[in-house]
Amino acid sequence: MLRRMMLVGLAALVVFGMAAVAQEPVTIEFWHAMSSGHQPNLQKLVDDFTAEYPYITVTLVYQGGYGTLQGKIDAAVVAGNLPAIAQVYENWVTPIAPILYPIGNFMTDAEKADILDGLVASNTYNGVLTTVPFNKSIMVLYYNKSLVTTPPTTWAEFFEMSKALTVDLDGDGKVDRYGTAFRPAANPEQFLIFLEQAGGSILNADWTEVALNNDAGKTAVEFVGSLIPYSYITSEYMSDHIKDAAMFVDTSAGIGYNQKAATNAGFELGAATLPAGPANFNSMIQGTNLAVFNTDNLTQAQKDAAVLLARFLLRAENTVFWAEKSGYQPVTKSAYGTEAWLTYVGSHDFQVPMSEQMLNAFAQILHPNYGDMRNVLSTGFEEIMRGVVPPLEGLENMAAEIEALLE
Amino acid sequence: MGRREKGNVNQGQKPVRSLRLPRDRVFWRESMAAYWYLFPAFLILGAFVFYPFFSAFRLSLFKWSSLNPPGAFIGLDNYRYIFADRYFWKAMGHTFYYVGITVPVTLFLAILIATLLNKGLKLLSFARTSFFLSYISPIVAMVMVWRWMYNTDYGLINYFLSLFHVDAVAWLNDPRWTLPAVIILSIWHYVGYQAIILLAGMQGIEQQYYDAAKVDGASGFQTWWQVTVPLLSPQIFFVFVMSLIGSFKVFTEVNVLFNGPGPLRSAETLVYYIIRSAGRIDNATNHTGRAAAASVVLFGIIFIFTIVQLTLTQKRVHYE
Repeated sequence: MLRRMMLVGLAALVVFGMAAVAQEPVTIEFWHAMSSGHQPNLQKLVDDFTAEYPYITVTLVYQGGYGTLQGKIDAAVVAGNLPAIAQVYENWVTPIAPILYPIGNFMTDAEKADILDGLVASNTYNGVLTTVPFNKSIMVLYYNKSLVTTPPTTWAEFFEMSKALTVDLDGDGKVDRYGTAFRPAANPEQFLIFLEQAGGSILNADWTEVALNNDAGKTAVEFVGSLIPYSYITSEYMSDHIKDAAMFVDTSAGIGYNQKAATNAGFELGAATLPAGPANFNSMIQGTNLAVFNTDNLTQAQKDAAVLLARFLLRAENTVFWAEKSGYQPVTKSAYGTEAWLTYVGSHDFQVPMSEQMLNAFAQILHPNYGDMRNVLSTGFEEIMRGVVPPLEGLENMAAEIEALLE
Repeated sequence: MGRREKGNVNQGQKPVRSLRLPRDRVFWRESMAAYWYLFPAFLILGAFVFYPFFSAFRLSLFKWSSLNPPGAFIGLDNYRYIFADRYFWKAMGHTFYYVGITVPVTLFLAILIATLLNKGLKLLSFARTSFFLSYISPIVAMVMVWRWMYNTDYGLINYFLSLFHVDAVAWLNDPRWTLPAVIILSIWHYVGYQAIILLAGMQGIEQQYYDAAKVDGASGFQTWWQVTVPLLSPQIFFVFVMSLIGSFKVFTEVNVLFNGPGPLRSAETLVYYIIRSAGRIDNATNHTGRAAAASVVLFGIIFIFTIVQLTLTQKRVHYE
């Protein structure tokens, strides 16, 4: 009898104890800029999350394009009504880093170590993993399969092939198809890739000096300069100029548009990892991260819930689901080894180089003035590629302008 | 002595004052009623026009900080920065180039079209609708269509030019042709709207003026130049002022057409410069103070132009 009473008592304790630790309902807003095509997939991920954490309600708030989302976040900082979690570009939150809730402090070491190497620095503020990667794309080499059988693997091959594939098809003295193409104003990252592959960087390691115009920078700018006669230069999307170049470096996010344009133009498009420079064949990752905000309008429970959501989205199965459905790339190392991803890659040829490139990549630096630096690079790179200034002079101009931004 | 009597005494002593303020109860009651009627309009204008307007002046004196808005007071540094920025001056030049061509050419074409429409076409309402259609089309959709028309290889415009053995023009990729491309599509977009306003004005001109001109033996052109144009001057003036103000603020056409400021920033206008300075496009850094300073400069330019226009055209505008 005593034993039975003790058992009942214990059971009651467990039940009451569980009730005591059961969480209070909490609602969080997730501001994003994912257009209608992506929204059902994002909703599915959120539904899976709330199924696992029934006490949390996540309201997805579509804020329009990235520019609008940035504006809304800026306004919410001033008005003091930030959401618990939002999609953010590095530039947007670097000036407001003090009000970010450091997600990394609430992640396990294994979770942190699982984030792709190329994405750690661009989410780390003052040595703390603060934001986490979400929708990421990578720059790869696209090529016209009817013109290029084996894509170039080195800068030298890239140069030779670009030269050979630049042709005047109708003999009117004008080039009709170029070996390669650049979108310098819209995509200064194309130059940053060559800089990285030459072993260079915009600034030195502690951001105290401009490193752009050192030897590696000179090597990079001289190489892109040598490609000018064989390059189609445009500000428009490459899908609008798919026939104008045999090979071009473009984002993985553009695969759908580029493939469609190629099919319409009557050829098949291939994708490859980038040709390697003197130092490496690294490419640049772009796209947004997730930030949790640490402001007075949010309760601790909301911040905790937002961190749980960020961690949930990093899980291999979720980042793989998101990548398969959205065309972005998985953001954790373990994701690339999952059965689901390997199966997906097996049936999508272009994903092989993209996956390999994601593992050999870098992202933007988190300098508070990076937005202005990118602007300098965009203008300077375009002036070089359109022949307004000689490459080395253009490099020095960019370095001088970036120097002014370090003050 | 009551207020009214006192007022009357004053009125007796200094008749001039009575013309200024008859401070009686009826006056105040009526004035208060008027103010009450105006109050909602003042409230809305105050919140959405006057406050942002003065706020822009204030912000232009600060180095923006999102964390501690509006940031540090830096006096005129933002103005110094933009005046030393070569891209500000380029944007200024592009804007004047755009305004200088778009405004007069659109107005001239609109007068021409309105005159033709006023000739009593059988399909007048169809023609009117057709011309107005360009104006009511959503600007983004319209510019997207023009992007295809401007395509170097497949575009309708280059195809048309090729019929006259003109070489293909890289409208969207050659810095020399980007502003003309924006100007052409803007003229097409606004000419219908202006023509309809002018047509309405023309149709309001009394027939007796034309009869008198006929009696005097005026030719068709003389009648148009001596009768139609002067009597249409209020509408021409309205269209001119509105189109000048609108043209100085050109942005969407550029942003959608080039998905940026155009090659070598050749189509960057003042408003594009302002929006980019505020970090709203190209993922740029947020320099709200600089953007506000550039806005104040743009306001000054439009203000001066409007005053000059008002002064110069006042004598030439004929109201019936």
